Amino acid sequence: MRRWVQRTHLAGFVALTLTACARGEHVPFRGGIAVTDDAGRRVTLAAPARRIVSLLPSFTEILFAIGAGDRVVGRTTWCDYPPEALAVPSVGDGMPPSVEAVAARRPDLVLLYRSGPNVTAAEQLERLGIRTVLVDLNRLEELGPAARRIGALTGHSRAADSLAHVMDSLASQPPAPGTQSLVFIVWDNPPIVIGAGSYLDRLAALAGARNVFHDLSSPSAQVSIETIAARDPDFVALLSDSALPPGYASRPEWRVVRAVRARRFLFLSGQLFGRPGPRAAQAIRELRRRLAGTP
Amino acid sequence: MKYVLLGAAAVTTLAAALLLGPANVPLGDLLGSPILWQLRLPRAVLAFLVGGALGVSGVGLQALVRNPLADPFLLGLSGGAGLGAVVAIALHLPGPWALPLAAFVGAVGAMALVYRLGLIGGAELDARILLLGGVAVGAFAAAITTALVSLAEATELRNAFLWLWGGFSGASWTTVLVILVYAPLPLVVLAAAARPLDLLALGEEPAQYLGADVRRLKQLVYLSASLLTAAAVAVAGVIGFVGLIVPHVCRLLWGRLHHTLFPTAFLTGGILLAAADTLARTVVAPRELPVGIVTALLGVPLFAFLLRRWTVS
Repeated sequence: MRRWVQRTHLAGFVALTLTACARGEHVPFRGGIAVTDDAGRRVTLAAPARRIVSLLPSFTEILFAIGAGDRVVGRTTWCDYPPEALAVPSVGDGMPPSVEAVAARRPDLVLLYRSGPNVTAAEQLERLGIRTVLVDLNRLEELGPAARRIGALTGHSRAADSLAHVMDSLASQPPAPGTQSLVFIVWDNPPIVIGAGSYLDRLAALAGARNVFHDLSSPSAQVSIETIAARDPDFVALLSDSALPPGYASRPEWRVVRAVRARRFLFLSGQLFGRPGPRAAQAIRELRRRLAGTP
Repeated sequence: MKYVLLGAAAVTTLAAALLLGPANVPLGDLLGSPILWQLRLPRAVLAFLVGGALGVSGVGLQALVRNPLADPFLLGLSGGAGLGAVVAIALHLPGPWALPLAAFVGAVGAMALVYRLGLIGGAELDARILLLGGVAVGAFAAAITTALVSLAEATELRNAFLWLWGGFSGASWTTVLVILVYAPLPLVVLAAAARPLDLLALGEEPAQYLGADVRRLKQLVYLSASLLTAAAVAVAGVIGFVGLIVPHVCRLLWGRLHHTLFPTAFLTGGILLAAADTLARTVVAPRELPVGIVTALLGVPLFAFLLRRWTVS
């Protein structure tokens, strides 16, 4: 029954587009919304989306930040901010998205992070007549463009544009002055660190700390303990919600690194630091405060 | 002469492993540097010992199943080790030793299962069933591993796979000690089996007539080779190609007698893996390559070259 309804919706939409084209009008047609997503697809809506499924915590934060939180009808298990988001039904962990669980929320728009499995999921959802938009969101600079498009699709352009403006100006700031350095260690065996081209690298720079692996162009990379020791960062930054030193802190091979030996760990909450989002400025302030508070 | 060259190559490789690294330590400061004593030295020793263990294990297993394609990891051990590691992470087992220990237990569990399967036809290990059973147990363990990965938290488990793909990032004197505890007994057992293994190459029945206790021999060789591999997995993850290629290289260069094959395979495996790890640490510095990629990139052309020489002559 539901599928039949969706088919007729799809048919109606196709008919509408065809008539629009037949009359010689270009998309966007009058009263409609059109954006181009990061997969290069043109996404058109006749009216602002009313039932949105957000498949990335960052999108959920943006939606609530621009006042479109009441339109969110589905989220992932990772979407835990703001607290109101927890009241929205979850459609699973989104890796990869369960197309059936998403469709069961009867959305008129699904926001997906652009990745291989998500592109496939978006195609499947489109076949069910559900509009999808694929957005890149890995770095600070991508927050503004993402917020603008989400604002346009939800009819909250004004709030979204002002958020995007703040994000853009944050992204264009030069690195803050500072003498301290840090390394972001994502995993210990093999050691994986954060390089340039990542959100965290930019956050550190804006908080006045130099990422000692800023010369690595990829967002993350495997390195050896020896390299970390030679670059001698003042701090080891970890995404961790507890303040317990990591298991490797007491191992002899890691104690060659001065910051590990001196237990200079910065424990950064995953909710605030682990994802690009509207709270970037708050994350930068928090990191700066933590760097200043530790001699 | 060949032996002198092999010894010289081993010394040169170890020296290079100690002198070269992503950190620029001046030669004068090297002896006083923790980078040498806590990082490079244990790592070079560990890579050498693991390479040696895999080389010897490969010789033993190829002789046992009388199949040149046998690899220590073909017999289900890598699948079992992977399952163990993933279970350790999924259950959040604490402590730095949880993961290697679980991988070791997983590998030994897979070994026991394959061994039991190998005895299906009666009291004697059937080489064909060992191979088939190894592949089947490996696939089964991999299926459970994949199921766990797709059901549990993704990032941590992805990192478990990074560990499993092998490498010496976790090398320390403790890991060197672990392999020094596990490796000697199976090495001695295999060395003692050198003569009967030569006989086994003639076929099981002829070996029996010539006085080898074939049934017991096969059991001992299988268990020793598997234990060596499991110990290698526990400290370094799954490193492919060494156990497959080293026995062939040694047979081509030193002939088929096991009393020379075992020591040369130990040294050749050690040299190959220590050299591969030195390259993994230095060629793309400050980044690092997974060592398994380097062993394949080094080992396969070398193997192809030797094969060609062998078929021409």
